[in-house]
Amino acid sequence: MAGGSRLSEASATNRGVPDFLGRPGPSAYHRLNPLTKATLATVTAIAAVVIGGLSGPTILVVVAVIGPAIAAGVLGRLARMSLLLALPIALSALLVNVFFFPGGETVLLRIGPIVATAEGLAFALEILARIMAISGAITLFYLTTRPADLVVDLERRGISPRVAFVANASVQTVPAMVERAAQITAAQRARGMDTEGSVWRRVRGIVPIVGPVILGSIAEVEERTMALEARGFTRPGRRTLLWAPSDSGGQSLARWALIAALAALIAARVAGVVG
Amino acid sequence: MVVRWIATVVAFLIVAFIGIVGFNFEGQAAGNSWALAAALALVVAFGVYAGIEYAQTGGFASISSQFDMRTLALMPVAIAINIILGAAVANALKIPIYLDSIGTILVGALAGPIPGALTGFVANLIWQYIIPPPFQGAVAAPFAIVAAVIGLMAGLFARAGWLRPRPDRPIGELAVGGLVALAVVAGLAWYAYARFYGTTFEFFNPDNTNVVFTILGWLIALLFIGFIVGMLALLFVRRDLTVAYVTIGGVLTGAVAALVSAPISANLFSGVTGAGTDFLVAAFRQAGSDIQTATFQQGLLSDPVDKLVTFFVVYLVLSAMARRTKARFPQGDRLLEGGDSPADGEGEWRGAPA
Amino acid sequence: MTIALSGVGYRYAGATKAALLDVDLELRDGEVIGLAGASEAGKTTLCLVVSGLAPRTVGGQVRGTITLDGEDVDTWPMHRLSQRIGIGFQNPSTQLSQVTDTVFEEVAFGPMNLGLTRDDVVARTWAALETLRIDELAERDPRRLSGGQQQLVAMAGLLAMRPEHLVLDEPTAQLDPAGTHLVADAIRRLAADGASILIAEHKADLLAAICSRVIVLDGGRVARLGATDEILGDPTIGELGVAEPSSVRLSRAVQAAGVQSDRLARALADG
Repeated sequence: MAGGSRLSEASATNRGVPDFLGRPGPSAYHRLNPLTKATLATVTAIAAVVIGGLSGPTILVVVAVIGPAIAAGVLGRLARMSLLLALPIALSALLVNVFFFPGGETVLLRIGPIVATAEGLAFALEILARIMAISGAITLFYLTTRPADLVVDLERRGISPRVAFVANASVQTVPAMVERAAQITAAQRARGMDTEGSVWRRVRGIVPIVGPVILGSIAEVEERTMALEARGFTRPGRRTLLWAPSDSGGQSLARWALIAALAALIAARVAGVVG
Repeated sequence: MVVRWIATVVAFLIVAFIGIVGFNFEGQAAGNSWALAAALALVVAFGVYAGIEYAQTGGFASISSQFDMRTLALMPVAIAINIILGAAVANALKIPIYLDSIGTILVGALAGPIPGALTGFVANLIWQYIIPPPFQGAVAAPFAIVAAVIGLMAGLFARAGWLRPRPDRPIGELAVGGLVALAVVAGLAWYAYARFYGTTFEFFNPDNTNVVFTILGWLIALLFIGFIVGMLALLFVRRDLTVAYVTIGGVLTGAVAALVSAPISANLFSGVTGAGTDFLVAAFRQAGSDIQTATFQQGLLSDPVDKLVTFFVVYLVLSAMARRTKARFPQGDRLLEGGDSPADGEGEWRGAPA
Repeated sequence: MTIALSGVGYRYAGATKAALLDVDLELRDGEVIGLAGASEAGKTTLCLVVSGLAPRTVGGQVRGTITLDGEDVDTWPMHRLSQRIGIGFQNPSTQLSQVTDTVFEEVAFGPMNLGLTRDDVVARTWAALETLRIDELAERDPRRLSGGQQQLVAMAGLLAMRPEHLVLDEPTAQLDPAGTHLVADAIRRLAADGASILIAEHKADLLAAICSRVIVLDGGRVARLGATDEILGDPTIGELGVAEPSSVRLSRAVQAAGVQSDRLARALADG
């Protein structure tokens, strides 16, 4: 028997597609097609901006964020995460607008030359509502959808495998790079580097870490390129997908309906009917 | 080929025209949005170019040749750098710069304008939609087009050889370089002042009692002086003429980025994005500008500084990379110092198959 | 399938000096051939040239002819060559594709790129996993595995491409002793099963155990080429940067100590 074919023998048993691939989510909302969930998130975010004001985004938050979150059973995590996400912006928005709102007249508080106005507060609340809608919608999407699922779905619909690769690899590279930075930090600290202290010292301390992380990652690009080419990635044409998230006519209709609603909303805004 | 380019330019002009002249919301806003309109027109023009190439040749060869496997393997690294540094600066350091374009400009330099533009674009989308907290960016996606423009410009500058090291130049050359860079920056600063700042308030006006103005005024002056001193010091200490090129490239990219991002920030977020720049916007609004102008004023301060720093960081990273590592990238040869490689195909030596 | 190199030379891009020169080599079916030599002698370069990565992916220039079963492969693109010759590298983690969460999908990555039917892809993946005995790892996250396990996953990914020949560039160099043991065992089993392998290694013991022939490179040229016992038993290979296998060192030490024993000599020779 030719030795070369020894590397090429087929499996004796037929085990089929493993069931841990594309395992469906715990709730009906989880099991929706990723593109549907993405459309909902994007439409909600844009609508929050278009509608403006305070009541509009608040209604959106209740209907398009809290509602589905309850259905999916992720309300608790959603609240925690989207608050975390919105916190820096919320703080900025509040501080900046409460105190520095031009044209504010109803004075609430006075600290030296800095004045807090009621108009500023109202404006800040509006911005807050908008931000909650946007961060809520996106966090809901993140909590109910694995990023790889979205990319696989897009690839099934015709996106180039190369774009899919870049998207997936980016998602994995971020935590990998952070871990690498942590390792380098630990190593530097073991060598007596000062990582606590004043802001200036900490900024100076970042440089010997950022450098090796960036350069190390770039150096690896060469090896990764070779490994990917050795596995036929550069072959032109489509590649086989092992599985893809399910979709339905109803969901497709719903997606188009959402987009149409958004378009109508934008038209209404332009015409001055809303916001 | 010619048909493709003519159609692209026509498409660009049409969309730009519609964007700038056609959409007349409020006169001032439309006028200030010309850069954004131009950027959108660029995107449409790119789509037209790709569409026509597809119709003509059934493929995207001229575009995809800039995307070899090495570039594809670099992009996730670049995107990760953008996201990690950008999130760190936005969440931890409340300073009015972004530092979220290092990866974009790196890819632009090594692989070309289109890969650079795509890196920036995709990075911003992924940052908002796919990256989990704590790194997730809440306002990144709408600025994807700004990132695309940044990558495009960086790629074009690199293609023109601006990032090629030019060490050990005589003092005369360095002086000329320094002067040109200064002239460009000063010219831009003057134009910006006249167009965007002068109408709102005057600096150093002794009658001015508002603390905010005074502080701002001095801050800006200090920034400017610090920048000049720093740039000149770098130029003459390192004796590398490319410092001048990097300076000009950074400031120009920053200016364009500011012009494209200001309308987005103003219209979508009312100038509040959670970054350290919000206070600047507020300060300008306090000084009397409307939201549109205030975002421009903030942007024209933060962006050139941010992009200048970023360009220098990228230049440093590039100089730390081995020569042969750079050479293997599509545009790598524009980043190497002089010197020719030995001739190809002499005798029986053959390169890779086409 | 026979891989034949004739008068092959290689020069990296931007280099004036050739990294490989005048290499004549035949890699036949079912043979396991070892590649030894000091660092920078050209072992990695030869692996890259045989697999086709040089000059296709790595750039540079090549001369001479490389044929597969007599057919010149000079114009073959990398994805075509990768289905005939697989190449594994030293660093286990940089061989991961970074787009998968499970070992199964990681190993399936190669066949998926080939556009085969889904059943084919699945069958090949299970076959590769079973050959290397890592099918219990199928659901695990490849990033969380040990170095040795990751190296096996990388090799399974190559086997799933169904190559006729495997080139391994120092597969155990970056592994701890446990990982080295794991991977060396797997390679031993492949060799015993009759696989065609070209393996570059510093660990002479492994070469002595599985290779029928050994090539020693020096300065980019072939310095020695012959049967394993002959090459590794030669006392002058130390000058070429090749460590002697422990069995050779032991028997030399035994002789130097003045112990004469046929049984000992025979036992050492047998392994």
